[in-house]
Amino acid sequence: MPQALLARGLCRRYSWSGGHQDALRGVDLEVPTGTVLGLIGRNGAGKTTFLRIASTSLLPTAGSMQVLGHDVVTDAVNVRERIAVIPQESRPFYWMNPRELVYYYLTMRGETHRVAREKAAEALAELGLTRWENTVVSRLSGGLRRRAMVAMVMASDAELLFLDEPTTGLDPIARRSVWEAIRKAAKANRTIFLTTHYLDEADALSDRLALLESGKLLASGTRDDLAALARRPYRVEVSDGFPEEELRSYGDLSRVGERWMLFTGEKEARELSRRALEKGIRLSLGPVSLEDIFLQMVGQDISVEGEE
Amino acid sequence: MREHKLRSIAAIISMNAFLPMRRQPLFLINTLASPFSFLFFLAVVGRPGALIYGVAGGLVLTVLSVGSSLQSDLTHYKADLKYQEMAVASPVKASTYVTGMALSEFVFAIPGMAVFAVLSVIYGHYIFLGGLVIFATLILLWVFASALGFTLATYLADVRETFMISPLISIFLSVVPPVYYPLESLARISPYLVWLAYAAPTTWAAQLVQGALGIIPLSLFQGLEDAGVLLAAAAILFFIAATKAKWRET
Ligand SMILES: Nc1ncnc2c1ncn2[C@@H]1O[C@H](COP(=O)(O)OP(=O)(O)OP(=O)(O)O)[C@@H](O)[C@H]1O
Ligand SMILES: [Mg+2]
Repeated sequence: MPQALLARGLCRRYSWSGGHQDALRGVDLEVPTGTVLGLIGRNGAGKTTFLRIASTSLLPTAGSMQVLGHDVVTDAVNVRERIAVIPQESRPFYWMNPRELVYYYLTMRGETHRVAREKAAEALAELGLTRWENTVVSRLSGGLRRRAMVAMVMASDAELLFLDEPTTGLDPIARRSVWEAIRKAAKANRTIFLTTHYLDEADALSDRLALLESGKLLASGTRDDLAALARRPYRVEVSDGFPEEELRSYGDLSRVGERWMLFTGEKEARELSRRALEKGIRLSLGPVSLEDIFLQMVGQDISVEGEE
Repeated sequence: MREHKLRSIAAIISMNAFLPMRRQPLFLINTLASPFSFLFFLAVVGRPGALIYGVAGGLVLTVLSVGSSLQSDLTHYKADLKYQEMAVASPVKASTYVTGMALSEFVFAIPGMAVFAVLSVIYGHYIFLGGLVIFATLILLWVFASALGFTLATYLADVRETFMISPLISIFLSVVPPVYYPLESLARISPYLVWLAYAAPTTWAAQLVQGALGIIPLSLFQGLEDAGVLLAAAAILFFIAATKAKWRET
């Protein structure tokens, strides 16, 4: 499968008088055409920096990146004809309504009026915005504004879409409609590059995941690839009944509210459930979630602020 | 999709000028505000005959305001709305985006231009081909102001920096230069100010406009010199915009 995106040793240093910050430190990443890639990482991990280099609005300081077979630095024109982006914290023009937003974005990109009108109506319907299509943005809620932005890029003819936290601030139902739109785009063989803080979202949408931490790629691959990388692939939760010492001997133990949480290996998990049956203690056990994998790899929860 | 310049420009003008004007008609008279303030002062405190300087200055300042509105709109779209990033990641080229934006700011200036054009007919004494001279002058000034506005906008991080820098630029481009009064008045204060004024392209533009309206004498040679300087200023700024403006962050 050809690669929609290929990064090699990608580095980005932000410099200012009196200091600098290395936001990316040698990232290698591939995104196969027609797949959804979820880039996850804590605040400040470098997700936006990576996405802005890929969408040709920021230059890398070292390394290389090809998007749709073209170099993003030397051959940006050919990349730009085939991509679209929703930047993080972008906001729509507040004096326009969603229909106009999509329509004019498309004609600005070069669509004819007829095609722009049709595609706008289609994308607005898909994102559940038809009811609001004639309401000016300044009277729309934050979630509706975000959805209008999603409609803009979805309606475009871009083969590769960059979405920087597209569902931040959306309620669960609105999130689902964005998810559906993303899934539909993926079915149409478009490539989606998405960053998110919501691990459930990354899990639900992505064919492949990439985990960024402090400018380095800790892992990338399918959900199963990542699970295989987790040191301890099972998660056990248990209330009281076991002595703490005994639990600790099975793996990584931590206290979560009223319960003990334990990451452990397969053999230990079996042993522990046998012991729980013997003692009549209630215990829940299952494979680790993406959240758990993240926790094990990064050593901290995704919601914990990244160090500067 | 390949870039389609005309469609892109038309879309940008609609988004940035026609739609906001339709939703908020006050935009239509907004550009009149500051040139009219000057005109008003001149009418109140000026000598008889000073009014026509206000009209000539109004024409120049209205076109100049296109540059500063362009600068703040571009900065706003880049920093607050992140629309520039969306435009970068699309078939639209920087030159197309800026042309569309600059034309839409020009659309905003049309009502003001129309009012001052009418006043100039009432109060001025047009020389032969004076209308053409004014038209050409204002077009060159528009290119200059737009290129300046665009270049600055690509370096500014947020709109508040625009608010900081615009008044300073306007001192250099519209207060010190003899846009609203004759060049001699400046010489009376200090000869250095005259030199400073000559550094501002608006001085040359104002000389042309004042000459065309029959306020000051304008020889053919003088006119060509003024036009040459203005053309050079516009070309230089255009060149700077084309080579130095940051469409993509470095
Ligand atoms: N324009 C900039 N100038 C200086 N430093 C920057 C700039 N943009 C980002 N950084 C720094 O680079 C690092 C990576 O930032 P980036 O925005 O890429 O992170 P992120 O993973 O997108 O974070 P978030 O989840 O908060 O959006 C951070 O340490 C940030 O402070
Ligand atoms: Mg980010």
